[in-house]
Amino acid sequence: MSEDEEYDHPSAWGPHDWHHGAPHNSWSPLIMSIGIGIFLFMLAGAFSNGVYDASYVPMVLVGILVVFCGLIIWWRQDMSFDGHYEPRARGVPFKNIQIRKVAMWIFLMSEMMVFTSLFTTYIRYRTGIENCQTIFERGDWVAQGYTVEAGEAINCFEPASALISTSWFHIAPGAINTFALIISSFTIVQALRYAKMPVGTIEEDVRRKKIYRYLGSTWFLACLFLTLKLIEWFVGFTLPDFLAEFNHGHTHIPSLYEEGYLINAEHYHRHDGSWHDPVTGATMLADIRVSASTFYVTTGTHGFHVALGIIGLTYMTFKAWTGGYTPDNAVSIEYFGLYWHFVDLVWVLVFPFFYLY
Amino acid sequence: MGHTIFGKDVYWMNFAGLMILTIIEVAAVGLDLPNDTTLMILVGIGIPKFIMIAAIFMHLWGDEDSGVLTLTALFPAFFILVMILFVGLTHPEAATGLPEWCRPGTYN
Repeated sequence: MSEDEEYDHPSAWGPHDWHHGAPHNSWSPLIMSIGIGIFLFMLAGAFSNGVYDASYVPMVLVGILVVFCGLIIWWRQDMSFDGHYEPRARGVPFKNIQIRKVAMWIFLMSEMMVFTSLFTTYIRYRTGIENCQTIFERGDWVAQGYTVEAGEAINCFEPASALISTSWFHIAPGAINTFALIISSFTIVQALRYAKMPVGTIEEDVRRKKIYRYLGSTWFLACLFLTLKLIEWFVGFTLPDFLAEFNHGHTHIPSLYEEGYLINAEHYHRHDGSWHDPVTGATMLADIRVSASTFYVTTGTHGFHVALGIIGLTYMTFKAWTGGYTPDNAVSIEYFGLYWHFVDLVWVLVFPFFYLY
Repeated sequence: MGHTIFGKDVYWMNFAGLMILTIIEVAAVGLDLPNDTTLMILVGIGIPKFIMIAAIFMHLWGDEDSGVLTLTALFPAFFILVMILFVGLTHPEAATGLPEWCRPGTYN
């Protein structure tokens, strides 16, 4: 077989000589699709009808493993990408724009629709279901028997912000996350800037260090984001004693889990005692499954996107560390950056409407 | 993108602007204002933040292909408006509460 014929059928497993075009025969998309399929089917089996079945867990892990195998093939092929082959669209309306860039924008459009449906759900329930606090203040819940003592719960909307915005310390994880995402958006454009600097205007070793440090910083901030989210959802934290006076006398900041703010909270009452009626001694009981679900699904979907970004950033930081980015292939950072800025963009809406209002 | 704002690097200025707006956002909630006022402030700050990220960080302003890509990004805007106005702002019981003449024949 001649050399040219060999290049017409390059390895489906990478690495690849991009001077002869893109590796159209890559196994990566197929393997990743199979992996995602196994993962989702088995995950659905593990949590079927609200019952947890541990026998599905090994196959869930197999699904994740298969996805990672697909990712490794993709990365092996991308590691060899030096920017030599960057196809551009030939027809209107995207003439002369890189096809990958257009594809990324179309992907982001579909993502916009996903998040719009989540926001729409939130707006619909937030405006349509009466607020729990309003019902409590009206006071007729006692006569209607929606009390802890009677065990009957009233269906109402309890926004997460009712718990989160009660003190600066409750808001802190979400607020720090907001700043973390904005800073990470900045660090990634800085990585792109250094990658795009023409050869000769910057020493190559300085370029390499700048890019991997900025990408590494973005990775760190993304990890910080998810860590704080886990603290906010499941762990909580404790303040030093001298800060208690700024937190209504308490030193412990409970997680949403500790507060009982859960997607299956059909018998919920506030743990701080604020739904207590001093006259009758009764405490209001609420079914807040709808409000908790909209909160966790929306913020969880966003968090999932951050987690995907961390996986991508792990690879890109490694590639940058090996000196893999040059002005010729800097657009790869730009395309990932579009995704990352989109994640930031969604948080710009999630934070005020789910955490503050 | 090699633009400047007030003679300063556009990315730095955008970053600083976003940080300041976020501080105002968090502070507004701490002021314990009426709900409607808080909502107006949050929307009033959220919109410029959204535009700043899209225009400058996502290069929808100032690049050769910014125009067509902005139109691409705005393509779902119609569907988003329909969803928010006609689904999001209707009552959760809107479907079950529809008058009889408005329901399909098979709807119970």
